[in-house]
Amino acid sequence: MIEVEHLSKHFTLRAPTGGGGALRSFLSRERRVVRAVDDLSFRVGAGEIVGYLGPNGAGKSTTIKMLTGLLVPTSGDLRVDGVVPWRARRTYVARIGAVFGQRTTLWWDLPVIESLELLGHVYRVPPGRLRSNLREFGELLGLGEFLHTPVRALSLGQRMRADLCAALLHDPHLLFLDEPTIGLDVVAKERIREFVRRVNRERGTTVLLTTHDLADVQKLCRRVMIIDHGRLLYDGDLGALQDRFGGERRLVVDLAEAADVEVEGARVVERDGPRVTLAFRREDVSASDLIRRVTERHAVRDLSVLEPDIEGTVREIYEKNLLGA
Amino acid sequence: MVPPLTLEYAGRSMTSPPALPSASAPGARGELLASARLFVEVARLALRRQLAYRAAAFAGLVTNLFFGLLRSSVLLALLAGQDSAYGLGARDLVTYTALTQGLIVYLSLFGWWDLMQNVYRGDVATDLMRPMSFYGFWLAQDAGRALAGLLMRGLPLVLAYALFFPIVTPTSPTGWAAFLVSLLLAGLLSFAYRFLVNLAAFWSPDARGIGRFAFTIVGLLSGFLMPLAFLPGWLREAAGFTPFPHMVGTVVDVWLGKLQGAALARALCEQAAWTVALVLLGRWLLGRARRRLEIGGG
Ligand SMILES: Nc1ncnc2c1ncn2[C@@H]1O[C@H](COP(=O)(O)OP(=O)(O)OP(=O)(O)O)[C@@H](O)[C@H]1O
Ligand SMILES: [Mg+2]
Repeated sequence: MIEVEHLSKHFTLRAPTGGGGALRSFLSRERRVVRAVDDLSFRVGAGEIVGYLGPNGAGKSTTIKMLTGLLVPTSGDLRVDGVVPWRARRTYVARIGAVFGQRTTLWWDLPVIESLELLGHVYRVPPGRLRSNLREFGELLGLGEFLHTPVRALSLGQRMRADLCAALLHDPHLLFLDEPTIGLDVVAKERIREFVRRVNRERGTTVLLTTHDLADVQKLCRRVMIIDHGRLLYDGDLGALQDRFGGERRLVVDLAEAADVEVEGARVVERDGPRVTLAFRREDVSASDLIRRVTERHAVRDLSVLEPDIEGTVREIYEKNLLGA
Repeated sequence: MVPPLTLEYAGRSMTSPPALPSASAPGARGELLASARLFVEVARLALRRQLAYRAAAFAGLVTNLFFGLLRSSVLLALLAGQDSAYGLGARDLVTYTALTQGLIVYLSLFGWWDLMQNVYRGDVATDLMRPMSFYGFWLAQDAGRALAGLLMRGLPLVLAYALFFPIVTPTSPTGWAAFLVSLLLAGLLSFAYRFLVNLAAFWSPDARGIGRFAFTIVGLLSGFLMPLAFLPGWLREAAGFTPFPHMVGTVVDVWLGKLQGAALARALCEQAAWTVALVLLGRWLLGRARRRLEIGGG
């Protein structure tokens, strides 16, 4: 569905050179090139939900702007269903949907329902289809209570739900979500995730999602792509990423009485009275083996296994530059 | 409202997924029809939004009327007992103030900044991303706004004048028709000009200065602040090489019946030509602005 090959987007900035301020930089015409996206290649198949991750300024939004036809690439190839987005904009944008969490795509001073109905005309959605979509999405997203409120008066969570509905009214095959949960509370986030999951499952809509909330990724995506400085660092299974970098699982043991615990394949990372926390790797020992080894030697009151969380994994990847950019 | 349509569509969507419903629109005619429908819809919303502010419209109307009377009395004082000045009699002058005051909102003569604000707020990007004509979308919005201006300000104002003063009106059906054509063209021309001015926002981080200048020029050279006949000869001649007189002056002259026969036809043709020229220029510049946005990221 999406085919991206050696895609780059460079921005040219006039950089201030030391003192002298704006005038000096204007005169000196010194230029600095920002490689927002740099030689990026990937493919996304129909029906996937792909998480697109990276630290601030990594180039995520820039990629999405190219994929939605808003920006023209500096170089490289970009096709969606064989179409080059910015060349065939009118026909292309009619088939995709996009939500930019930072900014609404609805008309600021129109009530939500009028914005949505107007979009129905813009995208030439047949009236019956528009009505059934409005009914379905309105229910799932709980738009009822603020349908007649002007967009500018909506809370962030309400606005995001309205935007999501707007992006899907015309049954796009492909949905771009750029930080759709930014600034929302836990309940609102969960509602949006549930909605996206449902649209993907029931309508087969392909979704490309950027977010800084890794819970979004964990709950929605099987595949993730990680970029930094415009370059792709990782593209693959979320589970494999965790296996590769997430490192250690933990076993928390509540002993009947405090004791030194020493077992093969695991090391003690924390000791708090009768509670001992062991770290171990999947490759070295399975959880059940480890539990057996512990219970053979000690009287145990309680046990629990903690999986490495993706948040820690990705943070570690960013911080330690594990993928070697 | 039309449940059978829903059912029919639902039935169809079972066999072929509703991936691209617009594909069913039959060719170029369907396309045109859908565009017209969108235009009307956008204009209707803009009109309704304006109609919601009735109290403000009334206050505006009273203000326009007040200044209209003030301007009339100044112009009448200029006559200083003579029958006419520069070919305009007392009735002409009073009518002139009625029309120009009535056109203020219709033509946004005090300035129009909507597109500029939209650019600075960053909303243009999403509107540019929609499968519609950006220019057409703004034209439709302005058409709704302008129509509201005519209904709530222009028409009541001229009627109020007519109640108390012996104003001049077109005398024949052709006169009325010519006036309506000229009024419509002036609206389009004014929009094309305002759109062009607002496009400056794509290049300048603060284009309000450019805007203020551009709108002041209109006031001076269009015949809004004073009748074009009052301008010094050289300035009037210079103005003749610009589209400005066709925004206000031509409309007024057609109403007053100062233009007849060949002169009338010529004036309307010139008005139309300027309109086409500015629309084309605006669309071309919009293309440039868009490319700039696509390359530089705004
Ligand atoms: N229009 C522009 N002009 C110049 N530089 C730009 C422009 N847009 C983006 N950049 C730069 O490109 C880089 C990538 O920006 P981008 O917005 O794609 O990051 P991001 O991954 O979306 O970050 P975030 O998580 O903060 O949203 C940044 O260094 C940014 O400063
Ligand atoms: Mg971003």
